[in-house]
Amino acid sequence: MQSHLLLLAIFAFFVSLVFAVIAKDTAREQIRLGGLMFAGFLGSAIVLGWLMYPLPL
Amino acid sequence: MRATAAADTQSGTLVLLCLASWAVPGAGHLWLGRRTKGLIFLIALLLMFSIGLATHGRLVPPGAVAGLIDLSDPLVGLMAVADLGIGAAYFVASALGYGAGNVRAVTYEYGNTFLIVAGLLNLLVVIDAYDVAMGRK
Repeated sequence: MQSHLLLLAIFAFFVSLVFAVIAKDTAREQIRLGGLMFAGFLGSAIVLGWLMYPLPL
Repeated sequence: MRATAAADTQSGTLVLLCLASWAVPGAGHLWLGRRTKGLIFLIALLLMFSIGLATHGRLVPPGAVAGLIDLSDPLVGLMAVADLGIGAAYFVASALGYGAGNVRAVTYEYGNTFLIVAGLLNLLVVIDAYDVAMGRK
């Protein structure tokens, strides 16, 4: 398992899951918050990745 | 007198609950009858911890916490505190020889991140179990 994107997605999934289950009590709210957080994690990582592309450190 | 004894019993139970919740992720919620939440925490956090080990992350020895106290190596001390957050799994994995870490592995930093975040999330779960026990949630 060496794909950075896959590891990032797995990490985002588990963190979103735990936060959503801690923060909300009904399944519907948990799925909504968890989905939003997961999409936010992935989206921001991809956007930041492309923004850093022309600026290698 | 009775009120004091009841309060002592309650605080003793709360300490036990928090210890159980720290030692086994989700145990506090299972104890309080929140089975679904408890099972989700148990599976998700132990899977995160296992993935951290499988991707060659490093478990910092508990002695490294001293670096946080005497400020000789505060970041490694903080990492040790975070790693210890996962509870019994930390000691089981260490005893079985896992968590040595391989700094040359491509996934080394990912492994560390999984191990650290699994521990920190478990500490949040302990606080949540405490809040549930206190009737705040």
